[in-house]
Amino acid sequence: MGVSKEDVEGILTSAMKPTHLQVVDTSGGCGASFEIEIVSEQFEGKKLLERHRMVNAALAEQMKEIHALSIKKAVTPSKWNPIPKVQEE
Amino acid sequence: MARSLANTVLKGIIGSHHRAATCRTLCQQGTIAYYSVSSDAGTHDDFKSTSKLADSDISLKDVVEKDVKENPVMIYMKGIPEAPACGFSSLAVRVLKAHGVPIASRNILEDQELKSGVKAFSHWPTFPQIFINGEFIGGSDIILNMHQSGELTEKTQGRHNLPHCPKG
Repeated sequence: MGVSKEDVEGILTSAMKPTHLQVVDTSGGCGASFEIEIVSEQFEGKKLLERHRMVNAALAEQMKEIHALSIKKAVTPSKWNPIPKVQEE
Repeated sequence: MARSLANTVLKGIIGSHHRAATCRTLCQQGTIAYYSVSSDAGTHDDFKSTSKLADSDISLKDVVEKDVKENPVMIYMKGIPEAPACGFSSLAVRVLKAHGVPIASRNILEDQELKSGVKAFSHWPTFPQIFINGEFIGGSDIILNMHQSGELTEKTQGRHNLPHCPKG
């Protein structure tokens, strides 16, 4: 069936101790593709590619089943600037 | 594996980006496609070279190393630049096109061994995979991020001053 959103959330929470984590199953619940936003102090001092590699590494086992992983954000808490829920015109 | 690899590198879809593609060039370049020219899809079997590499020791690692060394911008993608087969590959190509640099590509959907070989080479599990000046950059998320931050402009116009495609 594939990996669940909860699986991905659990693994990343455990591996990265994020202060913010958002996982969206973009395959309509099939667990085939996910979009991720993750904020973690573990990213401190790491370049973009390395930050992505860290996320990939945490999900290495799951990547065998996941077809697509989109890491929208992988930043340190100091770089995190969430879009406000109320859009300003 | 050698025979399959030989078959991979012998399917020649070569644009006229380089001077006259010789048979030997076809053997070396394989299914590498160049965005900057219109592709005549497919080469008739009669014109394909016979297997010269069946006994060679060329590995997939060698193919990838050669690809990224010889092409300033190299993308391993699903489909081809003119017809990407997935949204992420399409996005990556669009971002690179916006920088006006010649794009060399291989369609990993055509060859499972190539697909596995590239993943092993870059230690990266997904496609597309973009290399610039021999350096692994990442996937579509990263290339988009770098485009937005200006970092991609630095890469493509920086120390190697990549040649730019004519518009149109």
